[in-house]
Amino acid sequence: MRAVQSYLTFLSRSVRLAFVGDWRYYLWVGALGVVCLLGLNAYAKQFVHGLVVTGMSDQVSWGVYIANFTFLVGVAAAAVMLVIPVYVYKNEELEELVIFGELLAVAAILMCLAFVTVDLGRPDRFWHLMPGIGKFNFPGSMLSWDVVVLNGYLLLNVYICAYMLYSRYQGRHPSKWFYIPFVFIGIVWAVSIHTVTAFLYVGLGGRPFWNSAIVAPRFLASAFTAGPALIILALQVVRRVTSDSSPGAMSLERTATDLGLGRVAGLEDLDTLAVHLPALRDVSKEIRHECLAGAQVFDVPTGAVVTREGDTQTNSFFILSGRVLMRRQEGETYRVVRILTPGGLFGEIAALTGAPRTATAITDGPVQLLRLPAESLRRLMRDRKMHSLVKSSMARRVVISDRALLTLRSIVQVSMIINVFLLFNEVFKEFYTESLHGASAKYLYFGLHGYHALNPWIWTAIVCNLTAMVMLILPVSRSLKVLDIACVLAIVGIWIEKGMGLVIPGFIPTPLGEMVEYTPTLNEMLICFGIWAFGLLCYTVLLRMAVPILQGQISKANEPGSGLQDSDAQLRALVESQSSHKADVETAYH
Amino acid sequence: MNDPASKQGPAWAWSDPSMANGMNRRSFLRATVAAASGLAAVAALAPLRELKNFTSVDEFLQKHYTELTPEQMAKVLKRIEDEVEKQYGLRPHVRDYKPMNGVEFVYCLNLTRCIGCRKCVHACVAENNQSRTPEIQYIRVLKMPNGTFDVEKAEHNYAPESVPEPGFYYMPVQCHQCKNPPCVKVCPVKATWKDDDGIVVIDYDWCIGCRYCEAACPYWARRFNFTAPSIPKERLNPEMSYLGNRPRKVGVMEKCHFCIQRTRAGRYPACVEVCPAGARKFGNILDPDSEVSHILKDKRVFVLKEEVGTLPRFFYYFEI
Repeated sequence: MRAVQSYLTFLSRSVRLAFVGDWRYYLWVGALGVVCLLGLNAYAKQFVHGLVVTGMSDQVSWGVYIANFTFLVGVAAAAVMLVIPVYVYKNEELEELVIFGELLAVAAILMCLAFVTVDLGRPDRFWHLMPGIGKFNFPGSMLSWDVVVLNGYLLLNVYICAYMLYSRYQGRHPSKWFYIPFVFIGIVWAVSIHTVTAFLYVGLGGRPFWNSAIVAPRFLASAFTAGPALIILALQVVRRVTSDSSPGAMSLERTATDLGLGRVAGLEDLDTLAVHLPALRDVSKEIRHECLAGAQVFDVPTGAVVTREGDTQTNSFFILSGRVLMRRQEGETYRVVRILTPGGLFGEIAALTGAPRTATAITDGPVQLLRLPAESLRRLMRDRKMHSLVKSSMARRVVISDRALLTLRSIVQVSMIINVFLLFNEVFKEFYTESLHGASAKYLYFGLHGYHALNPWIWTAIVCNLTAMVMLILPVSRSLKVLDIACVLAIVGIWIEKGMGLVIPGFIPTPLGEMVEYTPTLNEMLICFGIWAFGLLCYTVLLRMAVPILQGQISKANEPGSGLQDSDAQLRALVESQSSHKADVETAYH
Repeated sequence: MNDPASKQGPAWAWSDPSMANGMNRRSFLRATVAAASGLAAVAALAPLRELKNFTSVDEFLQKHYTELTPEQMAKVLKRIEDEVEKQYGLRPHVRDYKPMNGVEFVYCLNLTRCIGCRKCVHACVAENNQSRTPEIQYIRVLKMPNGTFDVEKAEHNYAPESVPEPGFYYMPVQCHQCKNPPCVKVCPVKATWKDDDGIVVIDYDWCIGCRYCEAACPYWARRFNFTAPSIPKERLNPEMSYLGNRPRKVGVMEKCHFCIQRTRAGRYPACVEVCPAGARKFGNILDPDSEVSHILKDKRVFVLKEEVGTLPRFFYYFEI
């Protein structure tokens, strides 16, 4: 009962978080809302008059709705490109970012479902599609498979996101049993949603343009290009709008880290630390002794660099007195991500994972530090409380590092090369054989019987894809600006390639050789914009809820007391509170 | 922890800078925004006021064709008759014809005889209550240059002074009632299926209008009601069947069904009856003495797009 109530409180606070933000947030949400309503209005017209208000015909019976649907299934599937490196290859940089990918998947699937719904001639009969209630043609129809895998994928991702956020909200480490199995099911499931969507087309023997075994691999390659590209852009937006101090506030010339000479640490130093870190008091004498092996205490003057972002060292530091600023490089600028006070811990990620430093630590005033080698920190963590304390300290940070973005870059890079290669395979098969089955491809690339509508589209896509590929291969795209341009080009190129380049030409010419072209109408496009706005709105709101919870600003610890609701003003104050470090100290350490 | 009460309101809250007033202003603002969004949503949905004859509670809740009991079917047929009468001012006679035992239909089309006059197209439209605006036709006649079977060389919209034209032959295409129908396989809700007499039928009250069958058909035989069909009252054929020629609604598929309302009552399809050249032959393939059985035995018969494996019941043949 209490668990239910606690979960409901979490939900209600999360939902109310969606209404908290600054003027930029309201402007953005308001603008998206307006576009949504325009789309809704256009859809109301379509509902009344039928699909005649679209550019579709009996000849070209699917259009931009299904094209967008196909593209977005790929975006949803691409969330695994964050999950696989983290859970299969243990990439620590991306671990915190998985949830952004999964929330994007949720938003993308919602858009997919919306696009399929607006494409239906009889949306009022949606219940015919419900297994058990309607008359579900499973496993015969690939579309029924799609209904199963898409809704399953939605539930899977909603569950994983909600569980991770709720654990974070409660200040617990997520229990592996409740979540890792679903993550691995999700990986397979993600591949399945795009494979099934490809099979929608591949399974049609009467459409030689689609009836090609390479479509599913091509779909996956293009999805794993466009999806992570979209995530790269989205993460930078998240990073910018969640920044809690002005960029460029600090600039430090590159000097070696300078700690000066330390002295050997003793038990009395642990006692000093225990004043600020009550959990340490309960640690057994034995462990205390052991962890002091190799431990040193440093008195550091103001402005000194203790650790440097990107360095590979494995010491960790507890603050005995004074303040330390954690600063990260983001693109061209620097940002203070945390301010640590006595009792605070830093350097533990590098110590425990061997990964390069995630931030630069600079002293703010004279500081006394206790330095523990990695091995000593591990010994200390044999104590259960210290273990969860260190772990939660690690988990409590939403670090969108440049390195994480560059890891995604290499995924986009490889996928794009494979995508272009597979496209080349397709093009070779269509044109070298010169069979009559190449009619659609001929129409797409060069025009057929005097019809040319798709040529500018596909050549734009090819130029975009090739340019993006070259940019991604060259080292210049290690600069975020270039990487962003490459990502935009890749997204545009793949959207065209899968939409106007795959769905539409499959219908032209018709199986009876008739040439009828397709151009979307204004009403049709308004509906598409409406759905895209709806999806962006969903993603925005989901992030609005998730980020403060991930950063520990909203947690069980700052609930207003049993049965009480905190006012919106209080929520706002929590979200806007500068320092996540405060929440760190107060919630995790007590 | 931050105390929200200590936050100062903006300077323009001059009338009373106290927190209470700030909260009032904020809740007033919020109410205004909520009301405006609500109004905007209602305005966005305004076109729905024009919606009429879209569906009824009975139609919405109606079960799948194969699950209807005879009593329920009787009710459904009465509902359809009422609806047609209301819309067209004419009481139709709607029946649910079942396949006959021991009958499997086959269609044979003599390409030597077809003159491309399109009388079949018109007879079909009249018989099957097809929409006149926009035009929906089940039969497409291809004008093919002699010497090729490549449909890409076909002319669809030919309109000469007189037919046949020298140097061309004519190939009418309509639903081939495949033995292995891709359209049936892909339908996600089993709104289309193959009946025992070989006719592939559609339950217009069950179809969700996803048009997957239309994409799957290798013969381009399926048609979609992109908008509500319109038929002049005086042209309405009042002899209707549930799976056949009753007027369709917006948003559902339709196609040739070998004139179920005629053929399941022992008559020829309209296109067979009207053909002035005797190019169209129709009958029961299970009857060894039927005309179609003889044609399949004796003539040089072929099917369209044999390579897609659909096993059509619609055969073309040459006489000479």
